Amino acid sequence: MSEPLSKIPGGMRYYFGAEARLRRAVENTAMSVFDGWSYEEVTTPSVDYYALFERGMGHSEAHRSFRLTDTDGRLLALRPDVTSSAARAAATLFAERARPLRLCYAANVFRQQPRSHAEWRRESTQLGCELIGAGGATADIEVLLIAAEILQKLNLSDFCITLSSVEVFNGVAASLNFDETKRAEMQRLIDMKDATELQKFLAPYAPPGEIAAFARLTRLSGKSRVIDEAREVITNARSVAALRELENLWRVIESLDLTELFEIDLGDVSGLDYYTGLIFKIYLSGAGGRVGRGGRYDNLTENFGRAEPAIGFVLDLDAITDVLARGGFNFAQDSESGVTILGSDDDASLFLKAKEQRARDEKIKISDK
Amino acid sequence: MLTIAIAKGRMQDEALALLARAGVGVSDEALRSRRLALLDESGAYRFVFVKPADVPVYVEHGIADCGVVGRDVLLESEADLLQPLDLRIAACRIVVAARDGVKLKEMGALRVATKYPHVTEAHFGARGIPVEIIELSGSVELAPVLGLSDCIVDLVETGRTLADNGLVVVEVITSSSGRLVINRASYQLKSAPVAQLVDAISGVLNESER
Repeated sequence: MSEPLSKIPGGMRYYFGAEARLRRAVENTAMSVFDGWSYEEVTTPSVDYYALFERGMGHSEAHRSFRLTDTDGRLLALRPDVTSSAARAAATLFAERARPLRLCYAANVFRQQPRSHAEWRRESTQLGCELIGAGGATADIEVLLIAAEILQKLNLSDFCITLSSVEVFNGVAASLNFDETKRAEMQRLIDMKDATELQKFLAPYAPPGEIAAFARLTRLSGKSRVIDEAREVITNARSVAALRELENLWRVIESLDLTELFEIDLGDVSGLDYYTGLIFKIYLSGAGGRVGRGGRYDNLTENFGRAEPAIGFVLDLDAITDVLARGGFNFAQDSESGVTILGSDDDASLFLKAKEQRARDEKIKISDK
Repeated sequence: MLTIAIAKGRMQDEALALLARAGVGVSDEALRSRRLALLDESGAYRFVFVKPADVPVYVEHGIADCGVVGRDVLLESEADLLQPLDLRIAACRIVVAARDGVKLKEMGALRVATKYPHVTEAHFGARGIPVEIIELSGSVELAPVLGLSDCIVDLVETGRTLADNGLVVVEVITSSSGRLVINRASYQLKSAPVAQLVDAISGVLNESER
């Protein structure tokens, strides 16, 4: 029996009509904000060597890409992210350019998804930017403000950007002398906010009072108070330095009167092998999962031969437009509004008129008679 | 308002009793009705009653902010959820069971009947034992008795059903009990009411520990 032509592969879909216009509008808004902060658009290859993504994202993430082989037998992949490619370009193609590099993109990415999960799409569109060659709090704040500005320009008010630093976790794991397996287990328990299991797991390694306080900490999410509480529990130098950086960042957020938009979530421990400092996640009311994520990845460009500080983020266009569309948000104009219908039996005069109106940038539609 | 998805069946009564002690109660009258969505007495919580396997689905999509469901279901669904509390209700074990006298260790590959294909695959996969998984939706104990499979992976509370069908526990894979699960976005965007609920429940749990 042959497959019906109507069938579409799982995780793929069409976009059309109002939804397609909404997607275009969201993309344009993001790209104009990036442009307003002097980010240059970059279009990366849709197909690239699998080895690039393995270097850029690490094994476990790159494994989710769609793979195919080149004519010479080398392994290729449909891009599962853009950052890997941008980092390689920064270290090679743009090696001679003045720093910092400010790059942005709106690009579709392809990932295999486990079935039946909330994140079902296998093709999705990322709106993202990378600030390469700039370190420190100034660069961190720049990208955080860009992310917030995009969401605000889309008239989304009920969102929250959570801040953490991978160094808080790394410091604790290092002070406990954990090997890779134990580290991964601690990360998993903190990620699920499973304080009960975390306490049991840590019991052999530290005094009970300290463990209880630490376990509570990973469940805590809030404003600057979280940092104060963390300081009372975490004493290793590496974590303390990271907490100090977070606090400095928070002070700037306070002085900009933006504390409403941000939270500190020390329980955010995802992407530890990839990020090196600040990490952030973006949550939006109406979307079940995260609609964006980002952070500092100072080691990534080193994989491509040139070590330099870098920070970036991506927003999930699909998740954002889902929320806007469900909110009945009238962002995109109806395709029929303000259109002049032109019709005539004489094609020459019809299209003369059409050209005149198009020269004035008026919207027309040729009548089907 | 927080929406809480409760797994219907085995766990439902214990879950509601625990929540009532934490100050989140539904009136008996409301429970007697056949509505699938109910408000609590304060109006701050909405309960929805769904099949256990659907609890992680509702919570992962953010349709329900929180849920109460067994760890067995969570392991099988592999849903990306926060699991801050072990509620210590409906305790049971996920086990490998076979007919008394059958030596599974001497077989090169196993036919396993189960309602938990993911858990089964992960368990035997980690030991390098090839398995043919036969997915059933109920009365799993029957499979080895009738010769459909060599063994089963199933949830065991008292072990009575196993014994009545001539099966014995070969290996305990893991223990399971009711868990509170929370959607990642709700945890951040509704942080105050979520924290209040978690604190109230853990207060009750700590009390009963003493």
